[in-house]
Amino acid sequence: MNDRWLRWFQPTRRDPKRDVDEEIQFHLDARIADLVSRGASPDDARRQALSEFGDADAVRADTVRIDERIIRRERRADWISEFIRDARLGFRSLLRTPAYTITTVLCAALGIGVTGAIVSASYSILVRPLPYPHDEQLVTIYSDNPGHGYKSVNISWPDFVDWRDRNQTFSGIGIFTWNSNTITGGSGDAERVTGSEISPNLFAILGVRPAFGRLFLPNEDDRGRAPVTLISHRLWLRRFGGDSTLVGRTINLDGRAHTVVGIMSPGFNFPDRGDVWVPFKTDPALERHGNRGYAGAIGRIKPGVTVAQASADLHRIDALLAREVPDENEGWQAGVLTMRDDLVGDLRRPLEVFLVAVAMVLLTVCANLANLMLARGAARGREVAIRAALGASRGRIVRQLMTESIVTAVLGGVLGVAIAWWGVRLLRFAFPDQSPPFYVKLGLDAVAIAFIVVITLVTGILFGSVPALRTARTNLDTTLREGSRAAGTGLHRSRLRGALVVSEIALSVVLMVGAALLARSYKNLAGSDLGFDEHHVLSARITLPSSDYATRGEAAVFYQRLLTDLRRLPDVVSVGSAQGIPFSGWNVQGEAHVEGAPPPKRGDELIAHYQYVTPDYFKTIGVSLVRGRWFNDADRDSLNPVVLVNELMVAKAFGGHDPIGKRMGSSGSDHAATVVGVIKDFRHYRLPEPMGPAVYYPYASYPGRQQTIVVRTAHDHPQTLIPELRAAVRSIDKRVALYQVQTFDEVVSRSFWRQRLQGNVVTVFAALALCLACIGLYGVISYAVAQRTRELGVRIALGASRGRVVWLVGRQSARLVVAGVAFGLIAAYFAVGLLSSLLYGVRPTDPGTFALVPGVLAVVAFLAAVIPAARAARVDPIIAMRSE
Amino acid sequence: MYTRSIVAYTSNGHGYMPRTVDLLQGTLDLLILKTLSWGPAHGYAVARWIETLTGEVLRVGEGSLYPALHRLEERGWVESSWQISSTKRRTKVYRLTAKGRQQLKAETGTWSQFVDAVAKVLKTEERPL
Repeated sequence: MNDRWLRWFQPTRRDPKRDVDEEIQFHLDARIADLVSRGASPDDARRQALSEFGDADAVRADTVRIDERIIRRERRADWISEFIRDARLGFRSLLRTPAYTITTVLCAALGIGVTGAIVSASYSILVRPLPYPHDEQLVTIYSDNPGHGYKSVNISWPDFVDWRDRNQTFSGIGIFTWNSNTITGGSGDAERVTGSEISPNLFAILGVRPAFGRLFLPNEDDRGRAPVTLISHRLWLRRFGGDSTLVGRTINLDGRAHTVVGIMSPGFNFPDRGDVWVPFKTDPALERHGNRGYAGAIGRIKPGVTVAQASADLHRIDALLAREVPDENEGWQAGVLTMRDDLVGDLRRPLEVFLVAVAMVLLTVCANLANLMLARGAARGREVAIRAALGASRGRIVRQLMTESIVTAVLGGVLGVAIAWWGVRLLRFAFPDQSPPFYVKLGLDAVAIAFIVVITLVTGILFGSVPALRTARTNLDTTLREGSRAAGTGLHRSRLRGALVVSEIALSVVLMVGAALLARSYKNLAGSDLGFDEHHVLSARITLPSSDYATRGEAAVFYQRLLTDLRRLPDVVSVGSAQGIPFSGWNVQGEAHVEGAPPPKRGDELIAHYQYVTPDYFKTIGVSLVRGRWFNDADRDSLNPVVLVNELMVAKAFGGHDPIGKRMGSSGSDHAATVVGVIKDFRHYRLPEPMGPAVYYPYASYPGRQQTIVVRTAHDHPQTLIPELRAAVRSIDKRVALYQVQTFDEVVSRSFWRQRLQGNVVTVFAALALCLACIGLYGVISYAVAQRTRELGVRIALGASRGRVVWLVGRQSARLVVAGVAFGLIAAYFAVGLLSSLLYGVRPTDPGTFALVPGVLAVVAFLAAVIPAARAARVDPIIAMRSE
Repeated sequence: MYTRSIVAYTSNGHGYMPRTVDLLQGTLDLLILKTLSWGPAHGYAVARWIETLTGEVLRVGEGSLYPALHRLEERGWVESSWQISSTKRRTKVYRLTAKGRQQLKAETGTWSQFVDAVAKVLKTEERPL
């Protein structure tokens, strides 16, 4: 027992070498003495003892090594137990000051939580490998025409064939086009499922395998082959109950039997989501180089080849094509993007902004925590001084104070994980339809947790080190002599705290400017005049199967009957249909020209949006007529059609003159058409894309199988109409599927999701930073007031007015706020450049925003400072002077 | 006085363990634990006891005792303290810990089983079927 105590008191005095030497020497001496006492001569005894002992040097070395190992292990155990003691001590002292503890832990938790959420979301979108082997070799290929400003246009079949057959840098290029099919059979109603037509090599290029069955065979895209299909695992489970005999059997797609050759693996999606894939079949009508816009291409670059080299290789082919087919290929070239860049697209910049913003929040958190720690350090200067006087080394004190801040950070980290988890969930809901893109697995996984652990420790060390060093430097002598109140309040400390508050304010100014700009952009977008009325409208898409509706007449009969049935429903105001409604992504454009106008120069053609609509379509979506007349049921002549144009078309093609009665042609019809009316411009494309000239033909003149139905109701909740809509379709033909059933409000609001997310996230960050800055300011000012209680008491006793006292305190906080705002505005001026591509209708250096933010900050800062100032004014001189 | 018979070297190459009979691994540990179970002792005393009791059949290369003792200490089976010997010299005395006593009990059992098993084989005259 007592030897353990002995070791405790002289832990570092042990020297294993000396101890082992002594032990062995004792053994040898004892042996020699033994042998001599039994009659051996001292020399013989020594020789014998040594030989019995064996190789003393080796024994010594081994034994010393073991002892050193024991000592090392004990030291480590000592260090750990010391840390545990410090942590326990820190924990206890934190419990004694609950207000401080709750504030710091919450600060740390918020900082760590939001950082964890944003970083884990960014990681899963920008960094985590795509679900394909060697995803860095996969590229998406578009067509670009830099001369005309076309970027990332879809490709044409002949371009694809040339790239595929003439390149030297790809191990394979495949083509696909977006597609959807009505599936009947299995369980449930007829249903519209999305997917794509793919070249047989495409999935092999991606490097995926089916879970059952096989991929397409090399020539399965030949026209005339029996139809085959691959289906998704989820469709297989949902519609066919996971029937293992489905491979080799047929399912019904668009009224035709397709043999299922394979079922893809769970979680496989292409091109976005997608449930059904069929071989890509070219259409002779589309086999021209200039017919861009209906397909996408994906290539796998050979190992060791860079994207730039592959791109140059395709450009070489483009140059050849420009010479071979100049009319259709001059100026066009392949645009090669890594698949990741293509998928991430517009999301990259917002994520970068979020990362920068969250770093600022984390810095604000650190500054705030350091600030709180300093205040606490000042309050316990005496405790530290006493510990130092009792012999604690400076390092020991620093370590103890650091441990306390790490305990705070760890508590904050635990809470932070919860906040991050919740934040990631919120982010998931921010995506359209609450579902992030297929390649993004949002969630807190091991990587995110590891990251949170790291930022927790870094935060703890960062915000703990300065105050710990500061506090530990406390001058023993003065501290003990002065009262505890005045302990360690050198100029240094208050200046450092002031600097921390200034930087907190500056950071929150930057964030507030960013938030204001983004919120304004969103407001501008959402509040912009769309030209149509999205309220009270329900929309749904229908594609009639070509097997059952072989002729245009049959399709026209179906839609005629459906619209008539719908119009009879209660609360329905009007009903119409178009090929694509606003914001739906329907975006078909073609060349247009006015009869009698001079032929345009090449590259200067008038490009117009066109589509086929029923007479009541515009009335239903709330677009008004400027002049002329609407379509009516008699407008069905396809040889001599009538058209409506928008105001932009009038301005662009008719020089602003009245177009009624004039004749024009477009890609929408083979025949020249007579303009009968002008409609008001409305935003057909998703904002911020501007609207262009448009021409509309009567549906009856060229009836198609695919239409989007729109229904205006008197209901505030148009979705209540959905069951009746479905019933109406079913009563006409139950093999027809209704899809993309949604209210117009949903369509519009979904199209702003990214801008809304940007505004919301940065606003939350800015609010957070502002709160933190105010806490910091409040802390500094109330501490200063507490410090000066006696002085203020003297002033009041000598006749200073209360107002004068408030002014004294207020001046100090005003100085901090002004400095912070000034630095913040300068920093913001340079930082907003990052935002410029995300803004809409507001300039990055918007003067209004730069004026508003300091105003808001001043008001909030005033509130944070007024409480301690009021406390100062209430100081009772008698009590104040007696207080120390 | 001592018959120096066959000298075997350990395979670890240190060669500091000349022995008459190859000690099985762990056997030395077991012997040390057993001798310490009678009471605290210094290394020299342990060596003498083992020599006396084994009748010099199992003579330990005495040096090898020390790494073994320290390793037992590392494992927590023995503990040590420095004391002043009768000859007024600082000497390191080892004592069995509770954990060491348990270990001794467990290993004694294993050893007896082993000896019985080997003895059974050696006493068998006829080849088993």
